[in-house]
Amino acid sequence: MLAALLMAGLVCAGPAGGADKTDLAKKQNSLNAEYSLAKDSTFYFVLDILGRKLELRVRGMVLRTWPFQSMRFWGRPELSGNVELVRKSTLKAPERIVIKPGGEAEKIEAAPMAAAKPTGTSAAPSNAAEFDLEALELKDMPKKFSLDFDNGLHILIKAKTRASGGFLGSMREGWRWHIGLPLRNLFGPQTGKGLSELELTFDNDKDAQAIYWHFFEGIKGIIL
Amino acid sequence: MFVKRILIAAAALAYLGFLAVLGAAYLIGLKQASAWPPAGVGRAIGDKDLPKVEKNVQQLEKRMIGLLPKGLYIVIDTAENRLYVKNGKDVVRTAVVSCGSGVVLEESGGKQRKWVFDTPRGEFIVKSKITNPYWVKPDWAFIEEGESIPKGLEDRIEAGTLGDYALGFGQGYFIHGTLYTRLLGRNVTHGCVRVGDEDLKAIFKAVPMGAKIYIY
Repeated sequence: MLAALLMAGLVCAGPAGGADKTDLAKKQNSLNAEYSLAKDSTFYFVLDILGRKLELRVRGMVLRTWPFQSMRFWGRPELSGNVELVRKSTLKAPERIVIKPGGEAEKIEAAPMAAAKPTGTSAAPSNAAEFDLEALELKDMPKKFSLDFDNGLHILIKAKTRASGGFLGSMREGWRWHIGLPLRNLFGPQTGKGLSELELTFDNDKDAQAIYWHFFEGIKGIIL
Repeated sequence: MFVKRILIAAAALAYLGFLAVLGAAYLIGLKQASAWPPAGVGRAIGDKDLPKVEKNVQQLEKRMIGLLPKGLYIVIDTAENRLYVKNGKDVVRTAVVSCGSGVVLEESGGKQRKWVFDTPRGEFIVKSKITNPYWVKPDWAFIEEGESIPKGLEDRIEAGTLGDYALGFGQGYFIHGTLYTRLLGRNVTHGCVRVGDEDLKAIFKAVPMGAKIYIY
């Protein structure tokens, strides 16, 4: 009985030991990659594919975590190593409000907002979140946008709840993912540029918007 | 009739061709997906290298811990308008604040200067702690109101606007109090971080000079 247990232990210990070594090698790689970023005072991100989360960090501290609900990809996305965000793009980027001297305000954003100067009086609405301000806030950020990285990786970030322009929007999105990207993946490599497309879907609108807010062009990160 | 049949046959052939190409594209996609993660990522270590790697990992973990700020520090989320006083990984206090509005102010005449009212992001330290602070109004405060910029310093000083306490973190930016408590939680400031009276008092008393501030 004891011999059988020992044998079972040895059989189990073999693969487990191998897995431990693989984990250790992964840990060493990720720690090396993170330390090179964390020793500076700049913010960086960690995209943990298997852990299904995107994190904003500084000095090794996790500032924000955004778990993603689902992911899918086409091509050969580079899902490991250090990357740098070179471009953040969206169909309709939020624009700043420009105020000219003398109180003349020019709203550049497409959706007009009612001006509300801070008054601090009882005339103000009971809930400050109720009215629009002449400001660029989290709610003004897009819920769908793409991030282009220096290694050619293209990540599309979107919120699950996003109303994607109705039926036409869904059709366009379906065509892009199910027809356009497979064909680009097939014919792309001949032009010397392989497709590297990753799509991350987040549960909440605010998660996608916060990522747009916090990710700036030039931010470095690690993909685990 | 014959031409019509030819056209139908051509369309059918084109459609089948398209389906074949698309099928090939999906096959290639599946092949690429099955090859993930790429070979070499997370390769196991040889037995003789194991102690060295373990030691290296321990050292890296120690170094990472060494990067964390010591004692109390402040973390500010400009999107959520939240301020956290933290000690290690523990949140000691959470406060609803107001951060920069992101508005651009342009001076039409004079020097044609431009200001962007963002709360600066990055790593800072508490450089000054002031009780009963006065606001020395900068040029933009007058330009914004359409007033002429005064020459004397005394005309720029305004009492009571910044609350009872202020913590400076450089380049004229402060964590300070506010008269507009209804707007806490919204992005309304010219770059400073406004905090409610009670939170401000607690933060001012707890956080020492030189403490780290992380604004993101």
